[in-house]
Amino acid sequence: MELGLIAIGAGLAVGLGAIATGIAQARIGSAGIGAIVEKPELLGRVILLIALPETLVILGFAVAAMVIMLLPS
Amino acid sequence: MLVPMAKVEIIGHRDRLDDTLQLLHRLGTMQLLDVTSTPGVRLPPLAIDEKQLRELEELRYLRARLDAILRMVPMPEAGLPSHVDRTDLRDLRAELEELGPTLEQLTQRLDDLRAEQQALPRYVASLRRLLPLVPELTHLSGYETAALLIESRHAGVLGDLNAEMVSAAGNLFEIITAQVDPDTIGAILVFPRETADKVYALLGRVQVTRVRLPERFEGIPFRQALASMERRIGAVPAELDLVQRAINDLVEPRRGWWATRSFVDARLDQLEAVRSIGTTRHVFVAVGWVPAPDLPALRSALEADVGPQVVMDQIAVEENEEPPVLLRNPSAARPFEFFVRLLSLPAPGTLDPTRLMFVFLPLFFGMMLGDIAYGLIVLALSLWAGRRFGARSPAMHDLSRVLAYSSIWSVIWGVIYGEFLGSLGHQVFGLMPIWINREEAVQPLLLFALAVGAIHMTLGLLLGIWAAARSRKRSEFIERTGKLATLVGLFLLAGTASGQLPAGVLTPAVATIVLGLVGLMYVQGLLGLLLGPLEMISTVGNVLSYLRLAAIGLASVYLARVANELGAAGPIWVGVIVASLIHALNLALGTFSPTIQALRLHYVEFFGTFYESGGRAFRPFGTPTATSSRTPSA
Repeated sequence: MELGLIAIGAGLAVGLGAIATGIAQARIGSAGIGAIVEKPELLGRVILLIALPETLVILGFAVAAMVIMLLPS
Repeated sequence: MLVPMAKVEIIGHRDRLDDTLQLLHRLGTMQLLDVTSTPGVRLPPLAIDEKQLRELEELRYLRARLDAILRMVPMPEAGLPSHVDRTDLRDLRAELEELGPTLEQLTQRLDDLRAEQQALPRYVASLRRLLPLVPELTHLSGYETAALLIESRHAGVLGDLNAEMVSAAGNLFEIITAQVDPDTIGAILVFPRETADKVYALLGRVQVTRVRLPERFEGIPFRQALASMERRIGAVPAELDLVQRAINDLVEPRRGWWATRSFVDARLDQLEAVRSIGTTRHVFVAVGWVPAPDLPALRSALEADVGPQVVMDQIAVEENEEPPVLLRNPSAARPFEFFVRLLSLPAPGTLDPTRLMFVFLPLFFGMMLGDIAYGLIVLALSLWAGRRFGARSPAMHDLSRVLAYSSIWSVIWGVIYGEFLGSLGHQVFGLMPIWINREEAVQPLLLFALAVGAIHMTLGLLLGIWAAARSRKRSEFIERTGKLATLVGLFLLAGTASGQLPAGVLTPAVATIVLGLVGLMYVQGLLGLLLGPLEMISTVGNVLSYLRLAAIGLASVYLARVANELGAAGPIWVGVIVASLIHALNLALGTFSPTIQALRLHYVEFFGTFYESGGRAFRPFGTPTATSSRTPSA
């Protein structure tokens, strides 16, 4: 029972982070493509901006890893 | 590194201007500044005289004509004959004017033939479908036929058409219909010639597609039209070949015109540069930026080629004047300049991160993709892509080199993790990891990723502190030192909390954090009370961000495992196909994602600690290889 809850918790940590990242990247991505069409030299900065929200899912992953590794002990 | 720039002034007798410009254009090491707007040098610009104006116009005309013709002339493969001079241009105009119209006619003919080659088979297909409907009575004089195609779902249109035809042509018409294929109904309409106008107007209104034949086949009975179209289709290729050969015969001997084009371009550049040159009655003054290491070469070239009537001096840079930025790195690191430029050039006088990217980017990529087989495949692909496209596109060349370095690291990390197509290497030939097996030892992997992040961030902060100290930027110095102090303090704290460090470290650790925090708060002013702690959290977040080095790698390991286990589930041949497909998917993801992630770690986390962007690129006048590097589109 407890193991199942831990697994669900870890899944939620990554999954919700991934959803949030997706929402943010969708908006940044579409705005970024619009910007590149007008100014192609912005490509590098747009890649940077699109990559920024990935921190959310990485932090989710960190929490999930901690939940799985630290809690059972 | 950023090449230091020298601001120079070239002064000479006006007679020598032409030679000077030609030399500068050939060397391609000086960015000319407009003397009319350069601070410190205020001179009227050199007016273009009548003779130069005429030359300018002539050259522009020649370039336009040459461009139009060179589109059809293949580029000579073995480089361009480099020597062209002004005498070659004399007969060029006449030759261009003679050749131009002939070539235009021929290309027009070529286009027409190609269009015909495309269109005729479609007409033939439509006619073939309709032919069974065509009654022999269409030979009757005084009658016209129209062929129609109607989509089956619009079959109702036929009833309307019948009713409308009665009012247009009375009873003197005939509609023959049949299903020509499952989606289309064909119809042949026969009607008296005198009602033709009304009928065609009607057909325009109704929703049917009238099969219109090309002009030369109109008015001929369908059967004959079909036969002559088929003959025509057979004849077109030979005709095309003939025209193409005629064009080739005309343009083949003109390959040398590519070199002439470069010469015309260079001369145009030189004449247009005249506007940025300052002048007095006898003397011209050119001002510009030269990379400092190239200065002696330029000086001696001026002495040797132009003579003592022209002198060059280095002049002082005005206070608010920013030199252009030129990156120059060892050839191994040079492909990484592409990624620095992709973001934006560093500000003049700051650090060039290219060499650091050369060290860390492939290393990070390898940490994520660490797999011997994947690494070898990516290496082979990148070498192939570099050879195939590298010569044509500098960006492709750089990218393929970067990917090649990265894949070598990927193989090295593959050996460290003991991975060959995931765990297949272990199962098949007992490959053992040198350090850890990523699939099982997740915790050490995560800690290692964090440690790499901490080292990378610390290195960046140290560079940032050094750069701030060098350029005497006090607040940046304090801010970066504060970040570093909090980071070090937090790691000491984590060390004592996990029992790895003695408890006595606790007090110094907390003191370091407090000191760092005070520094962070201090530089932000009153808002710092709020922003200081936030800065600290974001610095920790930046280190945590390096967890992706482990996370992306784990995702790839598990996908490889899925491939292997699914592959082993069914019969062997299905297994091999399924496993190959999933491995291919994993490889595609595993090449793209680590590249983006490694780049992001550099752009966001690493560059954030020291990088200052905002440089303008150095744009030299002319190019050292003007005759060989021009592409057809340039």
